[in-house]
Amino acid sequence: MVKELKSPVRIVLENCGKINPESIEEYIAQGGYKAVNRVLQEMKPEEVINEIKASGLQGRGGAAFPTGLKWEFTSRAKDTPRYIICNADEGEPGTFKDRPILEGDPHKIIEGMIIAGYAVGAHYGYIYIRGEYILSINRFQKALEQAEEHRFLGEDILESGFNFQIEIHQGAGSYVCGEETALMDSIEGKRGNPRFKPPFPPSSGLWKKPTVINNVETLANIAPIILKGADWFRGFGTKECPGTKVYAVSGHVKEVGVVEAPMGITLRKIINEYAGGMRQGKFKMAQVGGTAGAILGEDMLDVSLDYASLKRKGLVLGSGAILVMDETTCCVDMLKCFLNFFKRECCGKCVPGRIGTEKLLEITTSISQGKGKEDDIDLILQTAKVMQKASLCALGQSPILPISTILKYFKEEFIEHIKGRCPTGVCKI
Amino acid sequence: MKLRDKEKDVIALLSEAQRESKHNYITEEKLKLIAQEAGLSYSEVYGVATFYSLFSLKPRGEYIIRVCDSGPCHLMGSRSIFEVLEEELKIKVGETTPDGKFTLEETSCLGICDEAPAMMINEKVYGNLTPQEIKKILKRLREKKW
Amino acid sequence: MNTVNITIDEKPIKAEKGSTIMEAALANGIKIPHLCYQKGLSIAGACRVCLVKIKGRPGMTASCTTEVAEGMEVTSTDEELNEMRRLIVELILSEHEHNCLVCENNGQCDLQDLAYELGIDKIRFPVNKSVEPIEDSSEVILRDPNRCILCGRCVRACAELTVQKVLDFAARGSKTYIIAGLDQPLVQTDCVSCGACVQACPTGALTEKLARFQGRSWEFRKVQTTCPYCGVGCQLKLNIKDDKIVKVYGVEDGPDNKGHLCVKGRFGFDYVHHEDRLISPLIKRNGKFEKASWDEALNLIVTKFKELKNKYGSDALAGLSSAKCTNEENYLFQKLIRACFGTNNVDHCARLCHASTVAGLARAFGSGAMTNSIREFEKADVILITGSNTTETHPVIGDYLKHLATYNGTELIVVDPRAIELIEYAKIWLRQKSGTDVAWINGLMNVIISEGLYDKEFVENRTENFDKFKKVVSKYTPEKVEEITGISKEKLVAAARMYGKADKGSIIFAMGITQHTTGTDNVLSLANLAMLCGNVGREGTGVNPLRGQNNVQGACDMGALPNVYPGYQSVSDEQAKEKFEKAWGAKLSPKVGLTVVEIMDAASKGKIKGLYIMGENPMLSDPNLNHVREGLRNLDFLVVQDIFLTQTAELADVVLPGVSFAEKDGTFTNTGRRIQLLHKAIPNIGDSRDDWKIITEISERMGYPMVYRSPAEVMDEIASLTPIYGGVHFDRLEGQGLQWPCPSREHPGTPYLHKDKFTRGKGLFTPVDYIPPAELPDEEYPFLLSTGRILYHFHTGSLSRRSKPLDSIAPEGFLEINPQDAEKLKVKDNDWLRVSSRRGKVEVKAKITDRVDKGVVFMTFHFAESAANLLTNDALDPVAKIPEYKVSAVKIEASDYIDS
Ligand SMILES: Cc1cc2nc3c(=O)[nH]c(=O)nc-3n(C[C@H](O)[C@H](O)[C@H](O)COP(=O)(O)O)c2cc1C
Ligand code: SF4
Ligand code: SF4
Ligand code: SF4
Ligand code: FES
Repeated sequence: MVKELKSPVRIVLENCGKINPESIEEYIAQGGYKAVNRVLQEMKPEEVINEIKASGLQGRGGAAFPTGLKWEFTSRAKDTPRYIICNADEGEPGTFKDRPILEGDPHKIIEGMIIAGYAVGAHYGYIYIRGEYILSINRFQKALEQAEEHRFLGEDILESGFNFQIEIHQGAGSYVCGEETALMDSIEGKRGNPRFKPPFPPSSGLWKKPTVINNVETLANIAPIILKGADWFRGFGTKECPGTKVYAVSGHVKEVGVVEAPMGITLRKIINEYAGGMRQGKFKMAQVGGTAGAILGEDMLDVSLDYASLKRKGLVLGSGAILVMDETTCCVDMLKCFLNFFKRECCGKCVPGRIGTEKLLEITTSISQGKGKEDDIDLILQTAKVMQKASLCALGQSPILPISTILKYFKEEFIEHIKGRCPTGVCKI
Repeated sequence: MKLRDKEKDVIALLSEAQRESKHNYITEEKLKLIAQEAGLSYSEVYGVATFYSLFSLKPRGEYIIRVCDSGPCHLMGSRSIFEVLEEELKIKVGETTPDGKFTLEETSCLGICDEAPAMMINEKVYGNLTPQEIKKILKRLREKKW
Repeated sequence: MNTVNITIDEKPIKAEKGSTIMEAALANGIKIPHLCYQKGLSIAGACRVCLVKIKGRPGMTASCTTEVAEGMEVTSTDEELNEMRRLIVELILSEHEHNCLVCENNGQCDLQDLAYELGIDKIRFPVNKSVEPIEDSSEVILRDPNRCILCGRCVRACAELTVQKVLDFAARGSKTYIIAGLDQPLVQTDCVSCGACVQACPTGALTEKLARFQGRSWEFRKVQTTCPYCGVGCQLKLNIKDDKIVKVYGVEDGPDNKGHLCVKGRFGFDYVHHEDRLISPLIKRNGKFEKASWDEALNLIVTKFKELKNKYGSDALAGLSSAKCTNEENYLFQKLIRACFGTNNVDHCARLCHASTVAGLARAFGSGAMTNSIREFEKADVILITGSNTTETHPVIGDYLKHLATYNGTELIVVDPRAIELIEYAKIWLRQKSGTDVAWINGLMNVIISEGLYDKEFVENRTENFDKFKKVVSKYTPEKVEEITGISKEKLVAAARMYGKADKGSIIFAMGITQHTTGTDNVLSLANLAMLCGNVGREGTGVNPLRGQNNVQGACDMGALPNVYPGYQSVSDEQAKEKFEKAWGAKLSPKVGLTVVEIMDAASKGKIKGLYIMGENPMLSDPNLNHVREGLRNLDFLVVQDIFLTQTAELADVVLPGVSFAEKDGTFTNTGRRIQLLHKAIPNIGDSRDDWKIITEISERMGYPMVYRSPAEVMDEIASLTPIYGGVHFDRLEGQGLQWPCPSREHPGTPYLHKDKFTRGKGLFTPVDYIPPAELPDEEYPFLLSTGRILYHFHTGSLSRRSKPLDSIAPEGFLEINPQDAEKLKVKDNDWLRVSSRRGKVEVKAKITDRVDKGVVFMTFHFAESAANLLTNDALDPVAKIPEYKVSAVKIEASDYIDS
């Protein structure tokens, strides 16, 4: 089980660790499937969409797109059939916040998917779970069987006339398949190359049909919103970003694990109050949002961790992963590690992504070996900037953020390496 | 009601073929069969099979040791985990021990960063690794009969 | 056209709605850099050098993936965009070392051009120096991974144009590379060597193997012309250095091929320069050929022909014209035979392929050609293909059909006794017993009528004789049809519904329908079927015979037939005769002449004494070859004009060296009735002469001068006498050609026939009953032999077998035999077999395959070593006089023949 820190609020993680995830009865006893019942018996699809829109729920997969709007676009697309996809590919390094839900409360996701299906007029759903999440896959499979037995899935659900069916698709080892269009190609049995957009999934997604794709955490918010209302949901978090976020904290802190907190909590609070403070050394930097996220220095410890505030600073909350690093950390070594990830996981379709990631790693590696040149820092930045503008998908567009922010704080350290010295002694020069 | 003919889901077919093989790989014969079953050309199936890192077209060990080297694990010392494994197994990353028992691989984040540094051996997760821990694990597996 | 207004770099442009910025720019002559985009292929959006800025949108947008919108303001270049492009190109140049110095594509490489345009003078990134081996297993294609930029154009070309899906990407990220098959050498894959991938490749990663080190892009003269092989009439661009053809590209806006070619068109041109080319006239003296001067040869011919004509009369002479020669040559040839020799004994090998089409369609509709255009197939909902192994015999059309079935949702119905490639793309495959076509077609119509699926309005208003026809069809119930044809009644009904319900149904057929003693009946039945469903006279419908040879349509149009003058004007029509007598200033015979097989027959009986054959090889192409040899030997005088010493030429008294397509000006008419230009690309080889000049020389020496300065002038005369070619003149043909009928200079040509009215007025239903083939298997000859062609060879192989790549890919003939039969006969793959019929025997290797049904064997007729036509039956269709190539009875025994 994923370790959960002491969460101040529990909407998404409400049942996790509390109920037996393999028992639908326990889920129902906690009020489970009430939302589905309400939606099917009392609400029109438009009303469901309006409720989600009113809640201000934004996608928790990283891009923070308003969920209600996504559903609305899909419901208005002319083509049928339509599809619901739950994105459970969770591959962003440092992100392990969907896993507790998958392992600990799978029915909540199923409920969210059924409601999404009803809202947009879809009868088929896929959940794309990364192949390494064996336990999640097994639990989800069991949950699906139970839900079918209880007629929450299948034909004529709860005598409402609505049909909905969910199938699991296992990933086979590819981070980029978490990107929504690559994920669709992958379900279609192809190489997981991202597609160019537009068209966007709401008009042309899986099998070129209108598709809603939502993250696990996003979908886990649906049933509570339906049951308790948009206003209740807006009582958490900030005005622009209502609700909670499940943050995944890792690195040099005393306690690692997930914590659900209202949007807008600060980094300082997370580290000190929930993660028990730094493990030994002094705080040097944190990367927020996974490997594609920005490096935050000490000056950012009090910034509000929500999509809007970070966006205004040119940063991202992304998946909500927080990697905390202390003084013993070498930033050249870490950047090399980040770039190695991009290079390894890039699909190879577009030139900036394929060759850019490779060259960034090559140059950074040579810096870490003390073989760098003065111009290299500039070249890395320029390359990453071009990649940001020109790459086909967000993977290739991402390296600029960690690169530019790490250089903002620690350019000196890079220059030290070029001169032949690793200040932390991590790099062997 | 079935969403799609399972038979035609090439990725599922590839996974199954690999699972059936003792050496954790997909044989050329299997690739050809899968192409026929899924209605794809050979190159399409080959393209798919080589895209995903969980698949291999070359024989591998009975145990695939996949050590994470993404941010959190790297920070928590995954490099030393590799060193211990390479020393113990006397192979480099990407290689298989001559007895066909172990293959050592480097992987991206496994989503078990709360137990960093972490690795998976086949379908089992191992977290909070230390050199001593690794030696113990290897010993256990070496003694285990397949 | 639905257009929107946009500006690109402040220039206002009208763009087609739904097109991309890239397409709009290119259509308006604005070049936005691109590497992965290629017209005619799907869009990848992978190279990212085509990025532009759009006013009001943040950042940059790929112009190849973005649709135009009204009022869009696009900036295609500025310093920022160029800076971005430079970096991207530098990245590409660092991925591998592109050693342009020794690259085949130096000077015609999109990458090189772009690097130059962007002024890249250094590469800021570390360059990868490792070198991968070149893959050279294919006879025609070299794959050099070191020059590959992973644009994917080859992958898409192979998947979308050829629909072979041989190529794909493998691995991912920086390890991505292009594979063939299961990462195999090309030769071990399903590659059909069409070279679409080579043409698509923007760099030197894929090149023509045989062109290697033969010349550089800037040294080539480029000449557009028409493919000399099949009736698709693909437009080619010859690349010539020092008067030698080095390589060939497909012309992107070739009206029917759109840049695509098959292996023959792209790689089979080297026969032009083959050492066997005839380079001077030959006269046979004492059974041996001796070189002779043109004067000597021509004088001998004239003396002989005059002598024979005086002694035995005009009808003792005959001529075989050529479906390989131009319209102008065919016109002059038949004019020579008719006006100068004074006989209508002129025919050509169309007799052997589509005579029944011409007869059948002329009778039903009034015009004997494809009713619709090739590129209209994409408008059809359902296409019924029967008796056409399209992917091998008309590869570019075959690939197009595969494309339509795969990407366009077009439903294919294939009716064929052999499991041809197209069945894999078909919704329904009906496997009829050979020679039972009338029965299944009647069966389809029986179902269509009884289920009320036919077009009553069309039948009522546009056709006649429906009731009599209906009566005959009513006998062909699905049960009865199953009995005759072996097609299950369920499948027959399904096919009937599919075709019957289609809004636009098209029919394609070829020799599997025509080469029967009931060939004309078969064609009439297909015409009935189309009329019944109102599938004539509309775009995307029709009855579409695929004509085999490059100019078989033209040779027929030009009247190289014993019964008609140019434009199908009957020789027995007094008015037509007068018109031509006046125009040609000669008395013409009112008597219909002899057909090919009849000429051979008459020769062996001593009735034909002198024969002039231009560019044909009956000694391999005609049925019952032993009989043909007998006929030719029996002649008093035989003249053969050809570019090689063919099996037929060897029997000649005088051989005249003509020229190949590359040495000619003139026109070919393709199967889609499109008249297209040939351009002389190289000087005549040796002392060979233009075929049209040879004809006029003979004519002049015989006292009937024909004076023209050029083929263009010949066409002007054709236009003046042939209403369907009335508006055809060379100056109008550049580029897209013209589709007949084109009655006047102003007329734009006709994409599809019989629009509001059939050529003959009303469409004629003909009641047709099923008659079994002339010869069926029996105890002595238990197998049914069918003959046909393969992809890599053409007709009698006189050209394709002299092409090194083609002959090395397919060096020998074979006999396809079903595994069960093979087992019974204890035959293994590649075993030598002796195949014999009542007429002859051949030795051939076995190829065991379930492409053929039990009891059926199949052989190609390209190979002199194993000439299928020694076996075939010369029984004729009574109307069209086409022989029954598709059905004869043979027996098969093991042979002790030893492979040399
Ligand atoms: C390279 C890449 C990887 C991604 N991986 C994931 C992932 O593992 N899980 C996820 O939910 N979203 C991931 N996303 C975001 C998805 O593309 C998509 O925005 C998300 O699934 C939408 O769901 P939401 O609106 O509920 O957030 C990824 C995006 C990119 C560019
Ligand atoms: S030659 Fe044709 S069939 Fe062969 S790989 Fe190239 S495109 Fe495909
Ligand atoms: S071989 Fe040529 S066409 Fe194919 S991906 Fe490479 S560069 Fe592009
Ligand atoms: S399809 Fe026919 S015309 Fe076209 S290239 Fe091939 S042989 Fe030539
Ligand atoms: S970084 Fe190693 S498991 Fe996540």
